[in-house]
Amino acid sequence: MNVVTPAPLVVDGLLVGAILFALGLVGLLARRNLIVMFLCAELMLQGISLSLVAWSRHHGDWGGHVLVIFVLTVAACEAAVALVFVLQAFARTGRLDSAAWQSLREANLPRIVDRELPATDAVPPRFPRLTPAGVAPATDEDALLEREQV
Amino acid sequence: MNFSDPSTLLVLVPLVPLAAAVLTVALGRVLGRRSWLPAVAGIGAAFVCAVMLLSGMAREVTGVGHDQPARPVEFVTTLWEWAGVDAAGMSGAAPQAFSIPVSLRLDPLTATLLVIITGVGLLVAIYSIGYMHGDPGEPRFFALVSAFVFSMSMLVAASNFLLVYVFWEAVGACSYLLIGFWFSKSAAAQAAKKAFLVNRVGDFGLAVATFLLWMTYGTLNFHDSVAADGTLVPGILGATRLADASAYAGGAVGTAICLLFLLAACGKSAQLPLHVWLPDAMEGPTPASSLIHAATMVTAGIYLVARTAPLFVACPGALTLVSIVGATTALVAALIGTVQNDLKRVLAYSTISQLGYMFASLGTGTLLGFTAAIFHLVTHAFFKALLFMGAGSVMHAMGGVIDMRRFGGLRRIMPVTAATFLAGALALAGVAPFAGFFSKDEILAALHSRGWADAHADHHEGLPADGHAAAAAVFRLVSSPTDAARISAGPRASTLDALDTPATFRLLFWMSLVTAALTAFYTFRAVFMTFTGPTRVPEEAGHHAHESPPSMTVPLAILAVLSAVSGWWLFSTHSLATFLAATPSFTAPAVAASATPAVFHWDLAIQGTLAAALGIVVAALGHLGRRSDGPQPERFLGPLATLFANRMYFDQVYAALIVKPLQVIALIAAFVDRHLVDGLVDLVARVPLGLGGVVRHLQSGIVQRYALAGVIGALLIVLAVVARAMG
Amino acid sequence: MIASLLPSISPGTLLAGGVTATAASLWMLLPRGRSGRAERSSRWLGGLLGLAALAAFIALGRRLGSVGEDTIFLVVALVAVVSGAATVVSRSPVYAAIWFAMALAGVSGVLLVLGGQFLGVATIVVYAGAILVMFLFVLMLAQPAGLAPYDRVSNEPLLAAVAGAVLLGILSLSIGRLAADPASCCAVPATKAALLATDPGAGPNGPGTVDLLAADHVARLGGELFGRHLLAVEVAGVLLLVALVGSIAIVSRGAADDEATDSRRATP
Repeated sequence: MNVVTPAPLVVDGLLVGAILFALGLVGLLARRNLIVMFLCAELMLQGISLSLVAWSRHHGDWGGHVLVIFVLTVAACEAAVALVFVLQAFARTGRLDSAAWQSLREANLPRIVDRELPATDAVPPRFPRLTPAGVAPATDEDALLEREQV
Repeated sequence: MNFSDPSTLLVLVPLVPLAAAVLTVALGRVLGRRSWLPAVAGIGAAFVCAVMLLSGMAREVTGVGHDQPARPVEFVTTLWEWAGVDAAGMSGAAPQAFSIPVSLRLDPLTATLLVIITGVGLLVAIYSIGYMHGDPGEPRFFALVSAFVFSMSMLVAASNFLLVYVFWEAVGACSYLLIGFWFSKSAAAQAAKKAFLVNRVGDFGLAVATFLLWMTYGTLNFHDSVAADGTLVPGILGATRLADASAYAGGAVGTAICLLFLLAACGKSAQLPLHVWLPDAMEGPTPASSLIHAATMVTAGIYLVARTAPLFVACPGALTLVSIVGATTALVAALIGTVQNDLKRVLAYSTISQLGYMFASLGTGTLLGFTAAIFHLVTHAFFKALLFMGAGSVMHAMGGVIDMRRFGGLRRIMPVTAATFLAGALALAGVAPFAGFFSKDEILAALHSRGWADAHADHHEGLPADGHAAAAAVFRLVSSPTDAARISAGPRASTLDALDTPATFRLLFWMSLVTAALTAFYTFRAVFMTFTGPTRVPEEAGHHAHESPPSMTVPLAILAVLSAVSGWWLFSTHSLATFLAATPSFTAPAVAASATPAVFHWDLAIQGTLAAALGIVVAALGHLGRRSDGPQPERFLGPLATLFANRMYFDQVYAALIVKPLQVIALIAAFVDRHLVDGLVDLVARVPLGLGGVVRHLQSGIVQRYALAGVIGALLIVLAVVARAMG
Repeated sequence: MIASLLPSISPGTLLAGGVTATAASLWMLLPRGRSGRAERSSRWLGGLLGLAALAAFIALGRRLGSVGEDTIFLVVALVAVVSGAATVVSRSPVYAAIWFAMALAGVSGVLLVLGGQFLGVATIVVYAGAILVMFLFVLMLAQPAGLAPYDRVSNEPLLAAVAGAVLLGILSLSIGRLAADPASCCAVPATKAALLATDPGAGPNGPGTVDLLAADHVARLGGELFGRHLLAVEVAGVLLLVALVGSIAIVSRGAADDEATDSRRATP
């Protein structure tokens, strides 16, 4: 019988993987922004990857490593397809809200409406936005004139 | 032809029309306007085969004189075993092996009927070439006619009661389809439905009778057969049983079987309680009516009773009831026929009436009665087919109008039709020397012989001693009160047997004589209204009212000749009666014992002719050469005219007594179905619906809740596993 | 002078100082909307601090090995976990994405510590370099101005948090148990043990194991990948192709549906 007590490092790696997995799960279940949901799913994948590598370390085997490589590949595929879906969903509803699709609910069930949200106390940060492809960008003549240099 | 083995021909007779029907259905579109070809060729070939069978059978029978007891002649060919159940697989006190061999039989009765069926079928098919020309359903029509001939041939050739039942139903189905041929016409569809439903009542009788036969006799075969273990199974109409005078059940069971047979025959042959479908069957194409009335459908009942003659003879009460039903039907139908204005309807009631004659004749239970019924069936097939085709010819020329009040004097427009129709009318009215005269005379003689048995027996002074004694014995057996009392007291008797008295038959004889006068009246009323007087043509006919094409008039001419001479020929040579006497069913001792020498009954002939002459004279007084506003005899009937015009309110009575209660029951059933049964079903549906109503709140349309539910479920499983692992 | 001074400083302190100096240096060097003297002095100070940090790291270089593996693991694990938590709780999806990048860095560190040299690098390259950038592109395409209401509320937050915590508890229990009782989980199956007994090569974990920390780690991983797992690699390649084709197909099919939306958005 060849029993090897897991090294403390391996145990710690498994623990970190578990934490990441649980965090990702919470995010996936709770967050409503489709993209954040995806980020959380990726976080879960990271937790899995960590566990795999830890086990690989324990067993002295390449299997975990190889599997993580495939996880990376599948994650790339998933991201490619899923992001396209997210874009399509956004094109239809104008929102990245997973609850925007609750018209798929059973007939005669009441619609779930967000309760009244308090006004945001701080001005939310502005991030750069990309113009959707094929649509002429809205040009602000005054803003152009005010720019000192390009 | 080697007649010792006629099986090939016997199989061909039904097979060729069946092949023609299938061919017509399959190639209908390809054949187009020539879709009559397979039917005419097929029925023609079948007719040739039937004639060869008849001649072969006739040679087989010859040598047996009329005076000698007839030797039964039959030939049975078994094609294959249709169904068989071992005795081991059956329960009951005395299990018997059950088998249904598909077997065809040939005997004088079958041979005669096959010739009539295929012959009239052939003429009808030829006539239809002209009549149905241009109808979009032409292929369907000819396929149905072929199928009809096939079914009817099988019905008379089958040698097993179950097969008889099968083709009994097949005939009903064909008639349904032919009556409802123009199914887009509401009246036709209704008439077809009515014919089918009324026939179901009779079919029910035949089915139950078949069960009873199986329980009573342990076989359904007509012929003797050999069982698997080599023992002889005596058929119901086989030689073994026929030789035994007490082989047939009397009493309650026998009477029940016979009454059920009578019910079946009443349905198919349109006898009194169940006759209502036949007048409505006029909604079909006229050739189809001709086929139904003359050759196929309605003769089935006559055939059934004639075939089961030994069973009936064992139950005198049931047999007498056959006569009573027949004579009553004949009278009632003739009365109704006197006031009908629809040419085809007159003929329809005349068919019912003539069939009533045949039943009255069958009910006498004497050999003379049975042969006379078949004789009348043959002559009636000729002249009724002729009359229907003549009416069809008139209808064809009049643009579909069939109301006799709207046309007249058609003899100038359609001389061939008028002449042939007149020949048919003379035959129907019973004017010598046309066919109907002789056959009707035979029937009256049969009834007379039972009503005045002693006088009748004395009538034949030239009889051989034994024949005379036997005949007299039979007549006295049923006529003497003490004998009647003995019969009704015996275990083999039923209370119905009390009907079997000479007085009954005397009454029936007078009813038949009155019917003969009425027949002559309504027949010539129709002839005079249609063909004499000033020429009148309804506007539907347009300006081209014309004689019908040769394909229609040639069959008319052939039938006219047959109507004119067949009676004289068949009677004078006694060929038919002698021939039929060799039918196994008629060689049962009780039937054969009643054989009488063929005698022309001058007294009855004079009575019949006088009755016919009276009818014709009255008809001539009212209708000959005059407009329909002449002094019509039926106007003097008063309220009776209304009664007859409304067909004695049979339909109304049925509507009130049967249809309405059924509708009420149907309404109740519908209510129960909708509210009780459906309510229960709905209740069953509401349970999952209610459960679903609870669970459906989980389907909120928010995917993350689903995921959450999945995670919680997975966690519960993991918790359970961990809890077990932790011990 | 300085060099003689250095040995007396513990490597940990040195590392901490170097790191802090690096951070301060970068902070100072970054543009912070100031001007004039303050700007110039800040740049100078930042440059100096950067040099000091560089020196500290150079000095540290030879002694970094003495910094415990555990310490490094603790740091990178903390980074990964804290950033992961921040990813989950960030209101703004953009912040979430950036925190996720941070978590990736932490994970990659943990991978490195656990011996996955290639994977640590690959995670950074593939995730941070490709996937995350794609996420950010999509966010920029789709993100409405300001904070969307649906980013400010969660779906069943309590249930989700409890479920996550329970899961973590179960996993921790399981991991703790296998550390305490390795026989329950970590025994090599008998068949494999028999197979491994004949294996001449032996890794640090006994016969039949490979040395994951060998110098030619990446070469060996490549050999393994394109040797034993060649078929899987081919399948993964097909999967990538299918995903590519599928994405394009979905986009082109959705284009017709999008036209109405696009025109609506183009003309506010």
